[in-house]
Amino acid sequence: MSTNTATKPTPAKPGPMTSEPVRSEDRVKPMGARVGGWIMAIFLIVIAIIALTPIVMIFLGTFQDGGELIRNGIGFNIDFSAFSIANYEMLFTDSGNYFRWFLNTFFLTVVQVTLTLLVSSFVAYGLAMYEFKGKTATFLAVIILMTVPFEMLMLPLYVQINDMGLADTYAVIILPFLAQAVTIFFFRQYFIGIPKELLEAGRVDGVSEFGIFFRLILPIAKPALAAMAILNGMTSWNNFLWPLLVLVTPEKFTLPIGLNTLLTPHGNNYELLIIGAFFSLIPILILFLAFQKYFIEGMTAGAVKG
Amino acid sequence: MNRRRLTASVLAASLALGGLAACGGGGDSAEPAVNEDGSTDVTMWVFAEVHADFYDAMAASWNEANPDRKINLEMIVYPYEEMHNKLQVAVNAGEGLPDVVDIEVNKFANFVLGSNPPLLDLTSAAEPYRADIVEARLDLYSKDDKIYGYPTHVGAFVAFYNEELLSAQGIDYKTIVTWDDFRAAGQKYNQATGKAFGLAETGVTFVEPLITAQFGGEWIADDGETIDVDNAETLEALTLLQNMQTDGAISTIAGGSPDAEEAYGMINNGDYAAIVYPAWYTSRYVDYMPDLAGKVAIAPAPVTANAAVETIGGGGTGTAVTRTSPVADFAAEWLAYAKLSPEANVAVWEELGFDPVNMSVWEDEAVTHNPDNKYNQYFTTNLFDVLNGVKDGIGHWQSFSSPNWPPVDNLFRTVTLNELFEEKKPAQDVITQAQADLQNELGQ
Amino acid sequence: MRKLLYNQKLAPYLFVLPFLLTVAVFWLFPLVRSFIMSTQEIIYGQAEFLGFANYERLWRDRVFWKALWNSLRYMLLTLVLLVPIPMILASVINSKVGSERIKGFFKASMFVPALTSVVVAGIVFRLMFSETSSGMMNQIIEFFGFGPVRWLREDLTGLFALLVIALWRWTGVNTMYFLAGLQAIPQDYYEAASIDGASKIKQFFHITVPNLKPTIVYVVTISVYGGLAMFLESFMLYAGNMSPNNQGLTIVGYLYRKGIQENDLGFASAVGVVLLVIVLAINITQLVATGTFKKERTR
Repeated sequence: MSTNTATKPTPAKPGPMTSEPVRSEDRVKPMGARVGGWIMAIFLIVIAIIALTPIVMIFLGTFQDGGELIRNGIGFNIDFSAFSIANYEMLFTDSGNYFRWFLNTFFLTVVQVTLTLLVSSFVAYGLAMYEFKGKTATFLAVIILMTVPFEMLMLPLYVQINDMGLADTYAVIILPFLAQAVTIFFFRQYFIGIPKELLEAGRVDGVSEFGIFFRLILPIAKPALAAMAILNGMTSWNNFLWPLLVLVTPEKFTLPIGLNTLLTPHGNNYELLIIGAFFSLIPILILFLAFQKYFIEGMTAGAVKG
Repeated sequence: MNRRRLTASVLAASLALGGLAACGGGGDSAEPAVNEDGSTDVTMWVFAEVHADFYDAMAASWNEANPDRKINLEMIVYPYEEMHNKLQVAVNAGEGLPDVVDIEVNKFANFVLGSNPPLLDLTSAAEPYRADIVEARLDLYSKDDKIYGYPTHVGAFVAFYNEELLSAQGIDYKTIVTWDDFRAAGQKYNQATGKAFGLAETGVTFVEPLITAQFGGEWIADDGETIDVDNAETLEALTLLQNMQTDGAISTIAGGSPDAEEAYGMINNGDYAAIVYPAWYTSRYVDYMPDLAGKVAIAPAPVTANAAVETIGGGGTGTAVTRTSPVADFAAEWLAYAKLSPEANVAVWEELGFDPVNMSVWEDEAVTHNPDNKYNQYFTTNLFDVLNGVKDGIGHWQSFSSPNWPPVDNLFRTVTLNELFEEKKPAQDVITQAQADLQNELGQ
Repeated sequence: MRKLLYNQKLAPYLFVLPFLLTVAVFWLFPLVRSFIMSTQEIIYGQAEFLGFANYERLWRDRVFWKALWNSLRYMLLTLVLLVPIPMILASVINSKVGSERIKGFFKASMFVPALTSVVVAGIVFRLMFSETSSGMMNQIIEFFGFGPVRWLREDLTGLFALLVIALWRWTGVNTMYFLAGLQAIPQDYYEAASIDGASKIKQFFHITVPNLKPTIVYVVTISVYGGLAMFLESFMLYAGNMSPNNQGLTIVGYLYRKGIQENDLGFASAVGVVLLVIVLAINITQLVATGTFKKERTR
């Protein structure tokens, strides 16, 4: 039994997980394999359709009366003749803070991702490329970081920011999440695979230590950056509990927080809830279709750390 | 990525972060906000869209009457839970508070804890109107004889009967006076139709206090703090409800209360025929159950034999002014006008469909029997005829205004009532357990 | 400044510094404060020392045990579902049979739920699990001849709904994890086994599963954490933190209810400390049992 084959720190290229295994036998297939192929195709397609159903249902819901949907639930008996684009008109003319939330979330995500990648790649690079006192302790800190539930730190942190008068600011939403254990692991793994001679060459050419990082290492690490940008972008885009506590002013809300406020019988906003929920998916779906490879890599990053 | 571009993006990121910190700092209003034109800025938090409309209307009418001291009301509507959570945060931090805030009755006690509550004493501002106001409703938001919040409505319990469904089974709602009548009618209806008659609430605590009060009981002892849910009157009340459920007179409902989206749909479909609920439920019929227009009668809530009180007020919103507000006195004066004056109370009825706390309105036939009023048009009987019939029998249930009411209410609407109506545990076991849980929670 | 940038001794500390600062301010400090707060009663920002009274109260608190039980059973059941099912799906995709295009479509579709925020997922599933007969889940079971179910008002059906959401959101991602692990297993292992005459099923249990161990350990670790810290799924499904008989209440939900909704910060901090202890205990036991620590040390 050799567990080592899979765990060995291979230089994490986009890697084996996305590249399709090369097949040579596609031309001639025996009868049995073809039947098996059909069964499998049907099996996979059925599961895929089930997975997509909720998304399709909410899309169909955008054409329906929100109050009715909430009262009767989402089901198969859809009255297509009653479909209207009134909700879309409402979304683009009279949706209150909705697009504000959209922009806020977008802005927060961009800033969060930039800073997280910077902080995390810094520490990963330090751990991967240098020998220094306290290295083991720092690495231990990363591991501990991974096992402490943020939910537990939430209350003291929340008391703390209230004491400091920082409630309702975007800075406190971003800062606690700058150090992301999985991201650090991933970068470290990637950097370890880079030959140290590269650094030496840079030093000989008179490049500073930070210059080496920014000009020599980061360009090589583009795929890793892309994958981690997507992983952290997803987390930030959907971040809920902490912003829920911190944010007070409706104009500052993010999409998840804003959408949640619409789920109330006292607001008469159910149309916006449904169509707003659907629209919040669109940017990610578009990005996903464009950068599928990086998405899968980013989301599955942790599992290949070994 | 070349260096210049990278430096630029790092710079942009740090600038953005700095900007974030800067743009978040606002919100504290230290200076009295009287504007050049003599108007005053007042911020207000509410948790229901309709309340916001009402206060906007009251601000407009105040401004008409006081053109030199106008109010400039800035309203923020949050969902129920969020608003109370955020208020709690602001109270803890001592900043970021609004000037005026709607606080739901079940949360109110959280904001008048200790000897120095964060809310303004509104007793003197209420003086001009006090004689006409239902005293029991002021008591609800009072502590140590100081009024900290103004009520919105009486919320007297009444019964809403779907006349059409009842008469189809030969039941005359006018004959239902006591809970025994209600039970018999419900049983008959249920057996004939297979459908539910009344409802057993599992997500709110309303009818249980009503019946306990009618039996003369409380859930919190006279000292206002000691938990006392394990007593004879409560047992009697809960047993009565459980028996009604067994007989089919009441059934549980989706959403746990008649005041939930799923429930509106079911009641509108005629799945439930009789709702005993506070009078403000009129607005839910008119807003959410259009199919029942002209079919629903309002009648007095059923009573127990020899009832100690005929009805009590249920639910409510206490509107408070925060003590640290720079415009506290002005806000208090406006608030008294907006919630206690006869004008305001006419609007409470006409706009919101609630039973107003200013009793002078109850006798004003021009208002109460106005044929153009949408509530009068919807129901087959007149709400005020019913209310005036019970007005001397409206009791104040002390437990509602205890500082320990929030945990009691919480436990009942998540656990206790579920054990009672869903798991059908014996009523005695349920209240014994509730008593123990609450004592543990409150350290009694 | 120039010197600083060129100093090889100093450089690692500069690289690590921002991380250490964040960890100190936003993790270490609150962590310590959490323990302190758990021994206090806090009203309007004024703290009073209570000793272990909050923990004693916690011990006798029925709702806390209910929340703990809810979180534990959810965590265990997600493990039972979200390890084997994705593993089998990954093996199916990894097999030589079937068209690549369909597999590509499958992988992309399975990934979409993971991209959907829990807030949106919660809204949709809440409506699909509506207890009216026009709700999708009721229509499905009625098709098979069963009566309408009050999904979110019964304990087990409510749990079922939560598990369906978990399954929906994570099957795709976990399948990708396992697929990555599978593709790292050298093909010659299987070829050698085939020559020895081992059946496909035998190969699965004797080659695939043992070689997937690191992936399994990872998936189990994050699922333990994710399961115990679950909150938002339930919060959205029940449209708030109040569910009938607290059937959807989790540890984090209880922490939120006590700390934020009821403003009992001291008691809620005690709940948080218990959560930390449980997560640490389970994870450490698991990592020791699977030998992951040993491996880390010998590397």
